[in-house]
Amino acid sequence: MIEITDIEKIYRMGGEPLKALDKVSLSIKEGEFTSIMGPSGSGKSTLMNILGLLDRFDSGTYKLNGTDVTGLSDSELAGIRNKEIGFVFQSFNLMARMNVLENVMLPLVYAKVPAKERKKRATEALEKVGLGNRLYHLTNEISGGQKQRVAIARAIVNKPSVLMADEPTGNLDSKTTEDIMRIFQDLNKEGTTIVMVTHEPEMAAYTKRIVYFRDGVLQKDENQEPKTLMSKEAN
Amino acid sequence: MFIKENFKMALDSIFANKMRSFLTMLGIIIGIASVIAILAVGNGATEEITATFSELGATTISLDATDPEQSGDLITNEDLTILRQSIDEINYISPNETTSGTVSNDGEARVAVVSYGTPDLQYLTQTMSSSLIEGRYFNEADYADAQDVVVIDSDGAEALFGRVDVVGETIRITVQQQQMNLRVVGVVEGSFGNLQGAFEESELPLFMAMPYTTVSNTLPQVDGIDSVIIEVQSTDQIEPVSQQVVRILELRHDAVGENIYNAQNFLQALDQVDNVLNLFINFIAAVAGIALLVGGIGVMNIMLVSVTERTREIGTRKALGATTSVILVQFLMESIILSLIGGMIGLTLGILLSTLVAGALNITPVITLGSVLLVLLFSSGVGVFFGIYPARKAANLNPIDALRYE
Ligand SMILES: Nc1ncnc2c1ncn2[C@@H]1O[C@H](COP(=O)(O)OP(=O)(O)OP(=O)(O)O)[C@@H](O)[C@H]1O
Ligand SMILES: [Mg+2]
Repeated sequence: MIEITDIEKIYRMGGEPLKALDKVSLSIKEGEFTSIMGPSGSGKSTLMNILGLLDRFDSGTYKLNGTDVTGLSDSELAGIRNKEIGFVFQSFNLMARMNVLENVMLPLVYAKVPAKERKKRATEALEKVGLGNRLYHLTNEISGGQKQRVAIARAIVNKPSVLMADEPTGNLDSKTTEDIMRIFQDLNKEGTTIVMVTHEPEMAAYTKRIVYFRDGVLQKDENQEPKTLMSKEAN
Repeated sequence: MFIKENFKMALDSIFANKMRSFLTMLGIIIGIASVIAILAVGNGATEEITATFSELGATTISLDATDPEQSGDLITNEDLTILRQSIDEINYISPNETTSGTVSNDGEARVAVVSYGTPDLQYLTQTMSSSLIEGRYFNEADYADAQDVVVIDSDGAEALFGRVDVVGETIRITVQQQQMNLRVVGVVEGSFGNLQGAFEESELPLFMAMPYTTVSNTLPQVDGIDSVIIEVQSTDQIEPVSQQVVRILELRHDAVGENIYNAQNFLQALDQVDNVLNLFINFIAAVAGIALLVGGIGVMNIMLVSVTERTREIGTRKALGATTSVILVQFLMESIILSLIGGMIGLTLGILLSTLVAGALNITPVITLGSVLLVLLFSSGVGVFFGIYPARKAANLNPIDALRYE
């Protein structure tokens, strides 16, 4: 599904050029739940942004679902982001003046899904993250954990092939973190591929695979038996 | 694309900063309000003036003859006869001349304003065409024989004789050192009735009218006619008859193309009034234009601020799949709607303003569908023109830079 080979990303800011990613090769298969770990400044976010087609890279190749993304136009990239990738950001990035439902419908607006269908699918996605009863709240009327669940609903509403989360629980307490991880595990169980950046080992423990970075270099790539949280319905 | 969504988003963001949006619109509001008010009052004034002019002289031509090189018989009595005979559309034609003299019936000298012309004068002048009270107007026979007859207004009759039924009385009048004894044949209603008391009665002039032929026979210094008044049957005959009259006179006096004869009518006078009005309208329109320009720059400024404030929002939208053109349209819609709301507030204000101003000027404001459409088109134009740069700036943001923006 995701296939990168010898990716390099170099930042040139005034002085020494900085190699944020140094010949990184990685392949992620469908249905995987992968953590990307490493100290601050090791290039985790840089990799994530490249995988999410938000940023360009200097050399190497990136194939997403078999297509080479190098040389695609900005609007082609926007189209792929819309259909294939769901983003969950550390700071939620919800639209302040829209209610919960409208936020979740936004990717479907860009996908030109008809209004009625949009509402149906957004409601389903919100029910999946346990917010079926908050559809018409404004985003400043709900808690941080609820905001992140709205963001997850928004990320999955267009049924992307991969969900990308950069420190999704960085702004949340441990109880809420568990809720989010439980949702991720449930989604993964249903077949969603997830890539998650984190620097907390407790978080990485919930994933099947951990990739370690240091100074832009991929250091370690391990599979593990993930710690499981009991899904809400089982409670 | 996404017209409905963009419309809602634009309204949301405009109303999220009500005060800021309103202040931004102010320039446009003022500009559009003045444009609408100017158009409405200007059109109203034009209609009013046209109506007044048509009432006054929709079918009147006044002909003047001036020759800087030569004085003399520029228009003769014979010319008038020829004109009357050869142009069917002429209803009335008369010399349009006045002179002044002194009347000294009761020893005390009084100033008299004497109009003289053909018997048609009774239908053509302002002062001496009011209704007859006594006797008759001077007629064709009086005119042909240059009879010493006069028509006097009732105020004059009162002043001279202390009564109105003065037909048959004689008035001694001195005009340019020539004495004439004129027999009164008719009395018309005086025009000073409404000025009673405003002047000493003895200061008011007497008004009288008499045949041109009598005047030209008695006064050797009156040679020829240089002002003629003509009435045609309808307004659309004014132009062709004016041209015909001038051509005939030029041919008869061997003066083709010498620009001696000038036919004036209300259409030309109206043109002149229109010119002054247009000058005024253009001036205020320029001021309104500047207000709109300032308003437009205000829109651009606030849109640039908005783009900067919403950089992360733009980044998020791009991450969710918004293309460059989608973002462009979104921000362009916002500036258009901002300007359009300003335009509509301006329109309302302008209509109110024009009603007030027109009320004060005692005219009816004229607001046409055309001027409303013009205003709406123009304010959206301002939105596009001044919104395109900020919108492009938003659309061309790199998604990751936008998302990282603090
Ligand atoms: N826009 C940029 N311009 C210049 N240098 C950058 C830019 N973005 C990242 N870097 C540099 O690239 C390196 C990798 O940054 P990156 O954000 O990927 O780290 P990270 O692993 O996500 O760290 P953290 O855990 O703190 O989020 C860092 O040294 C950083 O300073
Ligand atoms: Mg990071």
